[in-house]
Amino acid sequence: MYRKQVRRRRAVLLLLVVASLTLLSLYFREGDGGPMHRMQRGVAAVLGPFAEGADRALKPARDLVNWFDETFEARGENESLQEEVTDLRDQLAEAQTKAAAAGELGRLAELTGGGLVPPGREAVSARVVGRSPTVWYSTVTIDKGSSAGVRVDDPVIAADGLAGKITATTQGTAQVTLITDPQSSVTGRVLPEGAIGVVEPNVGDPEDLFLNFVQSGEEIAEGQNVVTAGFTGGSLESLFPPGIPIGRVTDASLEEQQAYQRVQMRAYADLRDMQFVQVLAETRGDG
Amino acid sequence: MILTPQMWARMVALVLVTALLQVTFFARVEVFGTSPDGAVLIVMALGLLGGSVSGAVTGFSVGLLVDCLLMQTLGAFAAALMAVGYVAGRYRESVGRPTRGAIPLLGAGFTLLGTLAFVAIQVGTGIDADVSALVIRDAVVKTILGALLALPLFVLVKLVIRPAIVEDRPGGRRPVAPRTADSRG
Repeated sequence: MYRKQVRRRRAVLLLLVVASLTLLSLYFREGDGGPMHRMQRGVAAVLGPFAEGADRALKPARDLVNWFDETFEARGENESLQEEVTDLRDQLAEAQTKAAAAGELGRLAELTGGGLVPPGREAVSARVVGRSPTVWYSTVTIDKGSSAGVRVDDPVIAADGLAGKITATTQGTAQVTLITDPQSSVTGRVLPEGAIGVVEPNVGDPEDLFLNFVQSGEEIAEGQNVVTAGFTGGSLESLFPPGIPIGRVTDASLEEQQAYQRVQMRAYADLRDMQFVQVLAETRGDG
Repeated sequence: MILTPQMWARMVALVLVTALLQVTFFARVEVFGTSPDGAVLIVMALGLLGGSVSGAVTGFSVGLLVDCLLMQTLGAFAAALMAVGYVAGRYRESVGRPTRGAIPLLGAGFTLLGTLAFVAIQVGTGIDADVSALVIRDAVVKTILGALLALPLFVLVKLVIRPAIVEDRPGGRRPVAPRTADSRG
């Protein structure tokens, strides 16, 4: 009897380990349209409404826990100041973008109509209904999907700045990979000089980012704004429109010996605590 | 565990609710800069109450649902939570059901195990970005939160699956000692 139990236990364990490894390897090997991805999207589509319902039902409980945490960190009293700073920062980013009208950034801003939403796109508001429970994935699930016009690679903006991009959709939900995810990289431009680099995450740190591959000759100072570069070149076009605030430079120690600088920055968007986002989706009817 | 059709229904509901709670509640509350890992603690409780097979199967199921709900690498959470459920079940089978005093310690230990299992899977599948030292702080705070939440979640899970627990049935086996009739048959 005991031996039978042990054999059964080992068989179940072996089966589950093989299942996990098979899922992992198949998932990595196949494309987005593969059977594993399709099955995952199917399950997500079925459970999406339940997740949305649970999200709404649990909001008061979540708010209560978060209130205690925020009170502990004395964040509540800073809210009005933070709003003011956010407004001023957006105005500054806009003003600096316009001031660089002679430069490439200004020209790009003119091309997109001077606003953050480029022609042919519209802002689709969505509620965050789920979040990855580990720092190793920075993804959130939102309650708008392909039926609302949301497509893979659409940029996503939070209240204070760039949040990330859409990486998977179902009919009623979509996965947003945040700029703090290990897979994320965004071309950023430092204002007002215009130095360009690649914004990459510092895994495990929900606020700090790195601006990598900045030419070592560029002078960058603490406090400067970093916005999306939104380059266009031939058939290549950045996923992100230009001028979306990403973060503020917090440390720009120059390392002369290296061909590229690495600049430390802090994201504007509160990516851990956001409730709503806007997806810059293609305008419906434009195909 | 004695699994009647009603108990199966309860287990399926528990798995579903755990996955939904993990994604919509536990992962979205912030306590000291991180969020508690409720799914790990619920799977641990299932393993401690039901044994290694129940723990591994429910852990795998909860993890797979979380992977699907978040549309991220399929099998990653499933493998991490399966490891937690299996080891918790083996603890019960070799040491016996834990005392109330031991549950917070086990909660901390299994939260750490879950985090390490997930890191191992993540490193195994490749990571291209810089890794901040804050991941250590995150793991430590998660472990402390795991210790604090372990007992209430254990009691909650026990209430849900109580009819299926052999030791809690009239005439059931109690107490479970290491390598007694329970483990040797």
